[in-house]
Amino acid sequence: MVTVSQPAVTRDRLRQLQSVGMLCGFGAGAWLGAAEAPTKLVTLGLQPVVVSLLMVVGVFLARWSIPALIRGTGQMTWDFRQAPHLVAWAVLAGCLWSVANTLTIFAIRDVGLSIAFPLWNMNSLIGIFWGVTLFNELHHAGARRWLSVIGGALLMFIGATVLAYASAAQTTAEHTFRGIVAALAAGVLWGTMYIPYRKAYLTGMNPLSFVAFFTIGELVTMAGLALAHSGGLEVLRQQLASAKDVFFWLLLGGFIWVIGDLLQQYAAKYLGISRGIPLSNTNQLWGVAWGILVFGELRRRGPLAYAEVIGGSLVMAAGAGAIALSSVEGDEHGKWYEAAQRESTRYKVASEYVQAGLAGAEVPASSETAVRRSPLDWVIVICTTAIFVGLAVIARLPVLSLSWPSVFVLTGVLLIFLIACGTALWRITRFS
Amino acid sequence: MDTNPTLLRSLLTDLHFWIPVLVLLGGLAVLRWIS
Repeated sequence: MVTVSQPAVTRDRLRQLQSVGMLCGFGAGAWLGAAEAPTKLVTLGLQPVVVSLLMVVGVFLARWSIPALIRGTGQMTWDFRQAPHLVAWAVLAGCLWSVANTLTIFAIRDVGLSIAFPLWNMNSLIGIFWGVTLFNELHHAGARRWLSVIGGALLMFIGATVLAYASAAQTTAEHTFRGIVAALAAGVLWGTMYIPYRKAYLTGMNPLSFVAFFTIGELVTMAGLALAHSGGLEVLRQQLASAKDVFFWLLLGGFIWVIGDLLQQYAAKYLGISRGIPLSNTNQLWGVAWGILVFGELRRRGPLAYAEVIGGSLVMAAGAGAIALSSVEGDEHGKWYEAAQRESTRYKVASEYVQAGLAGAEVPASSETAVRRSPLDWVIVICTTAIFVGLAVIARLPVLSLSWPSVFVLTGVLLIFLIACGTALWRITRFS
Repeated sequence: MDTNPTLLRSLLTDLHFWIPVLVLLGGLAVLRWIS
């Protein structure tokens, strides 16, 4: 067992990694929040599990095509050869995500969004708990950083509650107890899903490789749940057939969500789950912004609703700001290094690979042997593009009054985040 | 590279592994109960 803390990277390097993690956390919030927008265009009476299944299909396509384009499947295979046990962790995380996502559908149905959202949004508090107890996060961090992270997460929780209350169109309370249990369970599942995340990134895994196997668990579980809850294969087939002209919007929602999720994975890798996850939970701010500015969701509500939204947003932003200011210093990073060494010893992963992962660098062997694109990579990218183009051709845009200037402004913000995060990740970590 | 049986033993004896497994089973039980 390793008992001596030692910094795995220099102070300057740590500062760089913290900055890129922070940027990715905020970028993740913007992209995850925007992922809801395309699904709002779907007004058919589809069962919620079918909507989820179609989004997960888009997620699956994105989770293979984006890594294939950026690094190539050869690199992904090489990564998992270094730490093959992480395949099981990735699939397990995907299963947790799908069950949690389905629980949220039932929670919204039974108690409404305003009650359900804050309950499952406590996932970041659970993530902090696991980060501290299992992975040495915030150890040797000092009282000020503890206060910033815990206080910031609590502020975000309060802000999220106010926002959810203000933005919910209606609340139903037919099965209150059942809905509350479903929402709490979803929060616990999502919060626990960060254990596999942290396990993977302390071991040195690349996020682009991890998500490709994550999505296998996600798609298989979601398909099983959709079959079970839609009433059988024939009913599911009929639902899918009736929805073919909205496939594009749902798959697009899944694709946008994956970009946000990838940035969240990088934030979790470089900031840890106790800081990365709360920052990416700013997605609710962006979801509300799309809802109000583009879809006019508060149009018939009084000034009180606007006051609640502004107040909730400010509280949430203050919480995110507090977390962003509590960057990891050398002593705490030394404790991360101990946790990483523990993984390396247990699973017999080369310590060179683990150290390179912590330092945001590539192991030299990986870039020499596996980074070249293969024909398979291009087949994946071309097939995904063809599927999206084909579905876009048959897609129907519902007659909705949208604020197009707001669409352009918010899309511009998304692109700025994407370019900034992509450039920083490339310059500082080469997407490792 | 490690052999698979050893790797499997490392996984199954890792307390961290059983936390998400138990939470997943709990989540499935809740789902079954509410639907």
